[in-house]
Amino acid sequence: MFGPSMVPTPDPNPLPAPFWVFKLLLVVTFYLHILAMNFMLGGAALALLARWRQKGNRFGTRIFFDVAKKVPVLMAATISLGIAPLLFVQVLYGQFFYTSSILVAWPWFLVLVFLIAAYYGFYFVSYRGERRPRSAGRVMLFSTALVLIIGFIYTNNLTLSQVPANWAQKYFSSTSGWNLNLSEPTLVPRYLHFMTAAVAVGGLYLVLIAWTKWKQDKDYARAIFQLGGKAFLYATMAQFVIGFWFLFSLPRALRMVFMGADPLATGLLCFGIVGALASIFMMSAALKKGNIRLAALGVTGITALVVLGMSVMRELLRMAYLKPYYNPQQFAVQTQWSPFLLFLALFVAGGAFWFVLLKRYGIFSRR
Amino acid sequence: MNYPVWDVAFGAGLLMALVAGLHVFISHFAVGGGLFLVLTERKARRNNDSKLLAWLKSHTRFFVLLTVVFGAVSGVGIWFTIGLISPTATSNLIHIFVWGWAIEWVFFFLEITAALLYLYGWEKLEPSLHEWFGWVYFVAAFASMVVINGIITFMLTPGNWIANHQFWSGFFNPTYLPSLLFRFCISLALAGIYALITASVQRDAELKARIVRWGALWTVPSLLLLPVFAWWYIRAIPHDLWLSARGAMPTGTHFALLACLLLGGTFLLALISLIRPTRLHLAFSLLLAVVAFGAMDSFEFVRESVRKPFVIENYLYANSVYAASMPGDGGFTVDNINSAGVLKTARWVENRELTGNNQVAAGREIFRVECQSCHTADSYRGIHQYIVKRQWDRDKLHAMLGVLFLMHNTVMPPFAGTDAEMNALSAYLGSLQPMNPPADLHPDGKAVFDQNCSMCHQARADDHLFSNMPKDPQTAIATLNSLPAMFPLMPDLKLSEDERRALVQWVYSQNSATAAQGGN
Repeated sequence: MFGPSMVPTPDPNPLPAPFWVFKLLLVVTFYLHILAMNFMLGGAALALLARWRQKGNRFGTRIFFDVAKKVPVLMAATISLGIAPLLFVQVLYGQFFYTSSILVAWPWFLVLVFLIAAYYGFYFVSYRGERRPRSAGRVMLFSTALVLIIGFIYTNNLTLSQVPANWAQKYFSSTSGWNLNLSEPTLVPRYLHFMTAAVAVGGLYLVLIAWTKWKQDKDYARAIFQLGGKAFLYATMAQFVIGFWFLFSLPRALRMVFMGADPLATGLLCFGIVGALASIFMMSAALKKGNIRLAALGVTGITALVVLGMSVMRELLRMAYLKPYYNPQQFAVQTQWSPFLLFLALFVAGGAFWFVLLKRYGIFSRR
Repeated sequence: MNYPVWDVAFGAGLLMALVAGLHVFISHFAVGGGLFLVLTERKARRNNDSKLLAWLKSHTRFFVLLTVVFGAVSGVGIWFTIGLISPTATSNLIHIFVWGWAIEWVFFFLEITAALLYLYGWEKLEPSLHEWFGWVYFVAAFASMVVINGIITFMLTPGNWIANHQFWSGFFNPTYLPSLLFRFCISLALAGIYALITASVQRDAELKARIVRWGALWTVPSLLLLPVFAWWYIRAIPHDLWLSARGAMPTGTHFALLACLLLGGTFLLALISLIRPTRLHLAFSLLLAVVAFGAMDSFEFVRESVRKPFVIENYLYANSVYAASMPGDGGFTVDNINSAGVLKTARWVENRELTGNNQVAAGREIFRVECQSCHTADSYRGIHQYIVKRQWDRDKLHAMLGVLFLMHNTVMPPFAGTDAEMNALSAYLGSLQPMNPPADLHPDGKAVFDQNCSMCHQARADDHLFSNMPKDPQTAIATLNSLPAMFPLMPDLKLSEDERRALVQWVYSQNSATAAQGGN
């Protein structure tokens, strides 16, 4: 009774550019968003860790405030860069995304409330933290916990958006929007997969901070390097458990997509595993030898590629999930050339101008 | 219809109003306030005014904490909320204007970056470079308003887009320019109003007075100019739509009046702040902000009211039914639903068939998919309270549902569905408030009018009911016996003879009162 017919009809307006354009924009902007999110969340979590593990680490408080002061800006980047994939996912997958959002409407709406509270919390720590160090720690914890909850709500919504077969039962048992997707077998491993990645990439963010301070303040930089590098190391090791848990929680047909059925998906998974292994060895060597360049350039470079590969895999997984309900060929395409080209021009010019802004501000010049 | 309907107990519309209302009040400040920052900085530097500069630094922090955090998140919040409440409209706006949204995002990204660099740059940058960042911020913020304004005005006046579906036709629509100037004016006024908030907590009375006067220089002229653009804006709205704000529709009319009163209040308070600027209190500046907030949100309510029953004028009804059929409409058009039935067309209903036993349950589902985008059963815009006020029983409800689209200057969409489904909806609505048979044998004519006629007729001499009422009472009472015979679109209300008599007498009394007034 509630089969594929429950999937809403796609929007009647034709796509204003070819399908692949939106697909590309979706993946690229999601990638930028997830990097910023990882820096923000991972940075916040590691700032807290630095503060808790004061023993044997005389720089704990200093690291805490140094990183915490950067979190509001990273939050701004996360939100700003999140708007584009939010737009493009609605263009391509609106019929799935709106529906699942409505089924979990209240938690989804509460994302906004939590986000504002978390954001102001981070600003409080950044501006008032040093004067009130005790409450700074608590507020930082509170804000970070809210961000973790937001991530959990996102995972609930996006996993639900991919399984239309589960919609009807959920909606007709409660139309109030007080739902989550807790019965989804991939929910917990998927969530942990993303959050652990945030800690790893957040660790690299600390490594990058250490690199900028390497010459002026060696001892301090070394302490940040140790914290960030180790966080990266352990979190990436943990991914070998969590990642495989996620993989094996997938329904068999979808798992096979990454295990031979789809060459691109399989290749990307292999690349991800090899890349993660290489980055683990490279990071542990860098930590042993105190080679910050190896960590800041080598490990970061590999990880940037691995995360890009993972972003593509995420999209391939969504396509595999939606295969029975979704066909890219179903879209009529009527390219709106002038606004499309205007966007492309502004996108490129805006990106270049963004670097001009940072350059004129002096971000790239060492002082 | 196409999407599930989120049951918000207190009313989805109220939630939307809350999110959007807060957002616009801050996002407009984000535009005008940007210009305010950079021009105030220039003024302070030219006059070597270190005190003003110090205040501006703290004002920048207030500005950024409000716009970059609350403004930005609540902007995303509007997207979240409309996606939950009006997914079909959101999807249409996204697909029609993808590149508009994408362009706006580029400006938004630059805007946020420039705002943060301007804030952190107070400690770090050379004055001229710092001002440059302020200008970059303002231009990016203004550009994002230039883009978003095209999409917002499209919803009220889609213009030639309806015929040609061309991006630029929809974007540069008839209200585009007046709305842009109107909103920019608001944003300049808000820059001055917000400045008063941080000024009011300054200890230095002389500095406070200077900021208050400088703020008034932004607020007062902008508020004086605002009616000019408002007039232009109104002129660009089709006349018959605007009638909704001129008495034909209660919501539109009330908010139009409120917008005028609160705008006047804002203006007066802004002037009063100049009387003793050295003693401006925080409470007063907050009062001014609250009154301005009320004025602005009332305007937004008017804009949304006059567009009803549509969410995109002449294209998509507020309840997500398309006005006309087109390829890919999924069958969600009035004509199709009338023939196929709403229970068979809507995706997210459980009662697909009507039986003798499921009338109320099916009616409740019909209410959810057809009415709940604007109404609740007994909360915000609650139908329950309307029924109680008008004493409608199930038969009258059925008759009224048939003429929904005529009510209040046609601000309601037509009921879409079969007659049996209309019956089921009446059964559900009737179950909200079981009516007792009227005990009053001598009904009051005005009450009869209010309960039965006022949805479509207004108590005015030029209204058909008043101007065409037969002069002979017996003829009039007989004519009112069968309303559809008089005019086929009229509901078959079956008023009792007593009710008809009372109504006729009351109409006569109104007409003679008008005539007497006219004669004087």
